[in-house]
Amino acid sequence: MEKKKNNKKNISLVFPNRMYLFAVPALLLFCVFWVFPVLQLFYYSITNFNGINYQYDFVGFKNYITLFREGTMTNSIKNTLIYAVIIVIGSNLLGLCVAMVLNIKIRGKAFFRTCAYVPALFSAIVVGFIWSYVYMPDSGLIASFLTLIGLDGSKFNLLGNYKTALYGIAAVEIWKSFGTTMIIYLAGLQTVDESLLEAGRIDGCNEWQLIKKVKLPLISSTITINVILNVIAGLKAFDYSFIMTNGGPGKSTNTLMFTIYKIAFTDQMMGKASAFSVVSFIVIILITIFMLIFMNKREVEL
Amino acid sequence: MALGKKDKEVERYEKLSPAIVAIYIILILFCIVIMAPLVIVLSSSLREASNMKSPLILFSQFTLSSYITAFRKMNYPMQFLNSFMTTGGSVFAIVCIATMAAYPITRIKRPLSKGLYYFFIAGLVIPAQMVIVPVAQMFGRLHIPNTRFTPMIMFITCSLPFATFLYAGFMKSVPVEIEESAYLDGASLFTRFVKIVFPLLKPATVSTIITQGLWIWNDYFFPMVFVSKSSQYSLPVGMIQFLGDRENPAQWNVLFAACILCALPLIIIFAILQKQFINGIAAGAVKG
Amino acid sequence: MKRKRIGALALTAVLVLSSLTGCSKANDAGSNSTSTSESQATSDSKEESAGEVTKDNITITMMYSGTAAENDFETEILPKLVKEEFPNITLEVTKLPDDQYYTALKTKLASGECPDMILVQPKYAGANSVIGLAKAGYLEPLTGLKAIELAGVAGRESFVYENDVYAVPSGVTMLGTYYNKNIFEENGLSVPTNWDEFLNVCKTLKDAGIQPIVMGDKDMYVMQFGLYQIAANQVYAKNASFDDQLRSGETKFTDEGTWDKVLEMYKSLYDNGYIQTSSLGLGAQQAIQKFVDGEAAMTFDGSFNAAAITAKGAVEFERGYFPLPGNDAGTDLYAAMAMGAGPAIYSGSKYIEECKAILEKWFDGESDIYKAYADSGRFVVTYGYGADKVNPLFQPFIDLYNDGKSFYWCNQGWPAGTETEMEALFSEAIGGQGTSVSDIVNGMQMKFQELYTE
Repeated sequence: MEKKKNNKKNISLVFPNRMYLFAVPALLLFCVFWVFPVLQLFYYSITNFNGINYQYDFVGFKNYITLFREGTMTNSIKNTLIYAVIIVIGSNLLGLCVAMVLNIKIRGKAFFRTCAYVPALFSAIVVGFIWSYVYMPDSGLIASFLTLIGLDGSKFNLLGNYKTALYGIAAVEIWKSFGTTMIIYLAGLQTVDESLLEAGRIDGCNEWQLIKKVKLPLISSTITINVILNVIAGLKAFDYSFIMTNGGPGKSTNTLMFTIYKIAFTDQMMGKASAFSVVSFIVIILITIFMLIFMNKREVEL
Repeated sequence: MALGKKDKEVERYEKLSPAIVAIYIILILFCIVIMAPLVIVLSSSLREASNMKSPLILFSQFTLSSYITAFRKMNYPMQFLNSFMTTGGSVFAIVCIATMAAYPITRIKRPLSKGLYYFFIAGLVIPAQMVIVPVAQMFGRLHIPNTRFTPMIMFITCSLPFATFLYAGFMKSVPVEIEESAYLDGASLFTRFVKIVFPLLKPATVSTIITQGLWIWNDYFFPMVFVSKSSQYSLPVGMIQFLGDRENPAQWNVLFAACILCALPLIIIFAILQKQFINGIAAGAVKG
Repeated sequence: MKRKRIGALALTAVLVLSSLTGCSKANDAGSNSTSTSESQATSDSKEESAGEVTKDNITITMMYSGTAAENDFETEILPKLVKEEFPNITLEVTKLPDDQYYTALKTKLASGECPDMILVQPKYAGANSVIGLAKAGYLEPLTGLKAIELAGVAGRESFVYENDVYAVPSGVTMLGTYYNKNIFEENGLSVPTNWDEFLNVCKTLKDAGIQPIVMGDKDMYVMQFGLYQIAANQVYAKNASFDDQLRSGETKFTDEGTWDKVLEMYKSLYDNGYIQTSSLGLGAQQAIQKFVDGEAAMTFDGSFNAAAITAKGAVEFERGYFPLPGNDAGTDLYAAMAMGAGPAIYSGSKYIEECKAILEKWFDGESDIYKAYADSGRFVVTYGYGADKVNPLFQPFIDLYNDGKSFYWCNQGWPAGTETEMEALFSEAIGGQGTSVSDIVNGMQMKFQELYTE
């Protein structure tokens, strides 16, 4: 007891409580322009506000009840989760592999690095449009390529198919975002101490064992950052459903954010969209916290 | 010393063994797959606006007329300047505000710090589309007028969670002992922060500048919402003006040209500075 | 550094304080009532100083949806001509694509920074529908403006809310069927005049190994292009007030022989392969591409896309345009024609009189602005300069319009969102998800009831 108190006193001398003043600007901006609007969203979720007319009524929990009854909620949560999982696995695997290869001392590293990163520099609108030509049925880039190598390209209709459309747009997201993931991995890999690898080689480890036993544990914090960033990007998925498929065919690529946007801006039901936002906000935050705790624990174990 | 070591490494490439050749072949194929869609952009942007042939017919025409149209209609120099000022200003502010916020969060070991940390992280998961109407109302309530700098408020706010998350992560790896000895030497809290902690966070600063600078430069949403005059638009808003809708066919060739004009500054910066970027990130991650 | 921080602190503190004092609910309701009373006040003061246009140098802002093309009318020609007519007025026009325009408009209304002039759609159509905005008090009534009188009854009706007109009708647009005249001639086909003839045309083409119709259903809105043409004949020719009764509850989408028939007819085009099977993976732009390249004989599209559809493609051929004959043999043909979106004035604008003066000049039927507008060809103008020289492509439609044998686009009568539900469900039906026509009309009816509030 006494010791603890003492300890606390010691810390507060070097790091006094007035240090919290440092966080005040960030906190103020954050509260005024982010937290307060979010709270207002909670408030709108129990009204029938349409986003334009401020003479709205309270409807209680009607919006929430409608949401759960309709089933749009489960559909978009399911789509979003699938999408997020694909992004996390695809982007991290690809990014890590490319980073490993580019970490070998080879010529033209800078060129390959730039190539991998260039897609990230383009705006999502243009990326979406180009890829709709890559995916175009009959005469698109992939369909033509399939025909060229003797397969039946006319059957290829990725975005027009209920089962594959979601994977199609997830692939585009991976194409655009894996460069960023790779750069972060590359940075992480460069921190791995060469002498540790040398020691491993002397102990008779092969390359695969080196990667598994030495490199991966050493970059575990990098993995955490990348996974969390990709999870969040996946859960916030909006751009490609919006640009490439418009949620279609049918509702097969309706993600959480796309559905919210559609309810708020097309259907003009700000109240219902707010209720949707509140629920998805809770879902996303639960997933993120769960991930964060899980990853941090793993990091320590490694 | 570190520099000397690095120079030596650069000179010593792996010898051309079969494995390395295979890696080259895979890398080149990989680059082709990655770049193929972008070749379509380049080829289409070199056409006239009225040439609506399928974009898959590559390089059927070479003219800069689409670029000229895009350049003129976007008022490129003006919008470039707007983009440059808002991106630069926002990134600068983010770095200042986020490092300051991360400092007490990581240094003071108390539940309050942890609470603040998760409070900021929670902001990370909220997309802008979701809250834009209440945010706009807040601007109205505070009587913040629409100017070219108005979107910066939202750029800074939206970047804060990520930047704070990143800085807090890096700051944990900066040893407390350095600060304790500085404290004993009589350095004030503020001096310690500016002179000792901040320079050690360079890698996190580099990552913040890259990631946040990139999205701010490419973002059209906030400028579109909070800017009213076309002379005050940033490049991405200028660009989406060429994007069509159901009753207005898009000017794809011009849009592509505009997109390349918009991304060009970034590509140049990345190509020149990538070494610094990556070494910058690497230098700090050693301790992490 | 320190000073900067304190400055930031002070600023943000002020921001928070003012935000806290302006507490949410009370403020919203309050600001709304003040804004309406304000607009009343301005309209009162206006009566004293009616038509008085300031001589000071002012800037008027205008926001439109669309694409900024070379020599674009709204962003380039209009500001120049306005400057010539009113040397003290600078018009700043910005253009955004539809979806972005809706978002920008909604947020700008929320922050009170709305441009002086905005584009609104007729009746209930879209997120910028004249009824929605007028009901919320954001639009200045324009009743009595000369430009409105010139537009005629049909034009005015499209922009009425509770006895006042809130936007200037800008001209007519139409939905139709573009066809490849060369392919039709080679196969000995003529323009069909009823549904059976149309199906025959499709069958002949299909048998000859030609893809009859190409549609880009990945952009689901294109489904409206075909459906509304059929509906004009099957639903609205029989009951012109179907939508009014829909709102009052007398009719329903589920009524037999109305929308179920329309959807069934349109779906049969997919079932028989007359519309290509991969349509759900093809974008609207790509579909136009295929038509222009001569890979299909027909496509359903609007007059607004005429320029893209008549652009040069891989093969040269002559284009024709006819109203899709959704009528049964022996009945009259109706076309789907509607008033296009038109400019309106934001009620909170500081320059209402000046905006009105600009609109009067713009739509007076004879000024340079009007001439340039008519020549831009985006809409078919119905009066004044240019009304007599219609694009020959549109002539069959104009004849029907003048005979009163046309009907507005259905989505103008529905709250926005009803048509997107229809599109989503219809693509499920043609995508083999087991959705039946009765599921679609049920879904539409449910969505309509959810969205329509009175």
